[in-house]
Amino acid sequence: MFRKLIFALPLALAVGNASAAESYEGMAPEDILRALIEKTDSAYLSQSPQNLQMMPDNPAYWVAEEGEELFTTPRGPNNVSLEGCDFGKGPGVLEGAYVEMPRYFEDTGKVMDLENRLVYCMTKLQGFAKDDPAVKKRHGSGSDMMKLQTYIAMQSNGMNWNPPMNHPMEKAMRDAGEVLFYRRSGPMDFGCQACHSETGKRIRASVLPNVHEPEEWTKAISWPAERAGHQNVRSTQHRLRGCLWQMRHPGIKAGSDASIALISFWTDAARGQPAILPDMKR
Amino acid sequence: MMKKIFSKTALAVLTVTMLGVGTLHADNHGKGAGDVKIDYSAMAPEELAEYLVFMSNSFKAGMEAQEGGPAGERLKQDELQKLCSALKDKPVDPATASKVGEMARATIKYPEGGIKLGDWKIGRELAWSGYGWRIGHKTDKHASRKNGPGGNCYNCHQLATDRTGGTIGPSLTGYGKTRGTSEAILKYAYEVIYNPHAYFACTKMPRMGANGLLTEEQISHIMAYLFDPESPVNK
Repeated sequence: MFRKLIFALPLALAVGNASAAESYEGMAPEDILRALIEKTDSAYLSQSPQNLQMMPDNPAYWVAEEGEELFTTPRGPNNVSLEGCDFGKGPGVLEGAYVEMPRYFEDTGKVMDLENRLVYCMTKLQGFAKDDPAVKKRHGSGSDMMKLQTYIAMQSNGMNWNPPMNHPMEKAMRDAGEVLFYRRSGPMDFGCQACHSETGKRIRASVLPNVHEPEEWTKAISWPAERAGHQNVRSTQHRLRGCLWQMRHPGIKAGSDASIALISFWTDAARGQPAILPDMKR
Repeated sequence: MMKKIFSKTALAVLTVTMLGVGTLHADNHGKGAGDVKIDYSAMAPEELAEYLVFMSNSFKAGMEAQEGGPAGERLKQDELQKLCSALKDKPVDPATASKVGEMARATIKYPEGGIKLGDWKIGRELAWSGYGWRIGHKTDKHASRKNGPGGNCYNCHQLATDRTGGTIGPSLTGYGKTRGTSEAILKYAYEVIYNPHAYFACTKMPRMGANGLLTEEQISHIMAYLFDPESPVNK
C-alpha cells in the first residue's frame, strides 16, 4: 500500500493516467514501469526505487545513440547500411519490430531473435565475416552488437509484446520452449520454474518475476537493459546465458536453436504487456 | 553422482522420425544425423525439446564438468527429474509423491560413526557461499575455495538475521533453538539436506548429499550452523 503511494504520486503529477487508456506508447520507460507498479503493487516491479530514479539518466541511451549511428552508416565490405535489413516489418522498419520477435523469416527458413537477425544482416547484406569482431563480440556496451540492439529495441518502447504465432515454426519453437522451461536437470535439479513460477519470492535480496504474471514478466524480459552492477548494457541472450549458468546447466550457445525456443516462449508469456526499453536492472 | 536414465525409447522414436522425414521442406530447420534435414514443425513439443537439448548443438556439452565427464551429461534427466518435471506448475499428486519419496529415502547414506555436528563457523561460510558447480563462460574452480563449493543455502532460505536470505524456501532462523538437538531431529535435518525429496516430493531444493553437492563433512558444518546454540542462527 505504502509502496503504491510512493510511486503513484510522481506518475500522477507527470503524466496522465495510462491505465484508463491502456496504451503506453510515447511514455518514458520509467513511467511505464510506474504505471505497472500502480496497477499491480508487485513486489518484483517495485523492488528498486533507486533504479527507477536513475532510469531517466540510463547510460543505455548513450549506447543507443551510437547504435543509431552504426545503423545508418554504410559499413562492411559491401559498404551498405542496415537500413536494408528486414526485421520482420519490411526493410529498415524499426518501429514495433522488436516486440514482434522472435519470428519466422522466409529468407532463412528460421525463427530468429533480434541478435540472430542482426548477425544475418551484417554478414549477408554488409558482408562482414562471421568471425569479424563487429559480428562476433556480443557483450558489453562497447560492442557494435549491443549498440545496435539497444537502438533497435528502443523503437518498440511502450508497445505490447506481440510475437507472431501464425507460422508452424513459430508455434513449434514456442511450445518446445515451454517444455524446456519446466525441464528439470543438472546437479541441482533446476528448471526455469524453480525461480520463476511464483509471485513475490526472493533469491537472497532480489525479488523474482513470475512468468505467470505478464505485468511482471514484461519487465523481466525487457532487454537490452543497463545492468547497474555490471556497468554494461546487457542483451536477452546474455540474460539467458546467466540463468543457465546459475542453474548449473551446461553453457548455452548464443543464438542456438534451444536459446530461440526459450526466448520464443518467454516473449509469448509477456504478450499484451508494454515493453520497457531500454530498461535498468541491478 | 546421480543415476541418469537416458530414455532409449525417446531416442528410438526420434531416430525413426528422423529417418521418416527424409524429404527436404522449404522451412526445414536443423540438421540431424547423416545430414537429414529435420522439420521442427512436424515434431511434438516434448520431442522437439529433447532434440533441441541433445541434437541441435545448442549447448557447450563437451566442457569438463567439476564432477568429471562432459557437461552434456548434466542435461540427461534421471527418473526423479522426469517425474517432477511432468508436474509443471501443479502440486505433486499422491502417487508421484509416494514414488518419489520412496526413491529418495533409498538414496540416503548416513555418516559412519553417526550424525555429528561440525564447526558452525565453517557452516556459516558454506551456507552463504554460492560458489560451485557453475560451468560455461565462467567455470567454478572448487580447489580455489578452502572449504570447497558452498551449499548456497542463503539463496533460498533466511538463516541468521545478520545476512539476507531468500524466501523460496522456509525461514530457518532459530532452527536449533526451537527444535533442540535430539537424535531424531538431527536425523531428520540430515535427511532433508541429503535428499529433501524424502519428505518433500518434487521440492525445489537440490539433493545436496545424494547429488554429491556437499560432502559429509560439509553437511556436518552446515548442521552445526543450524543447531549449535552458539550459532548466529540461534541467537
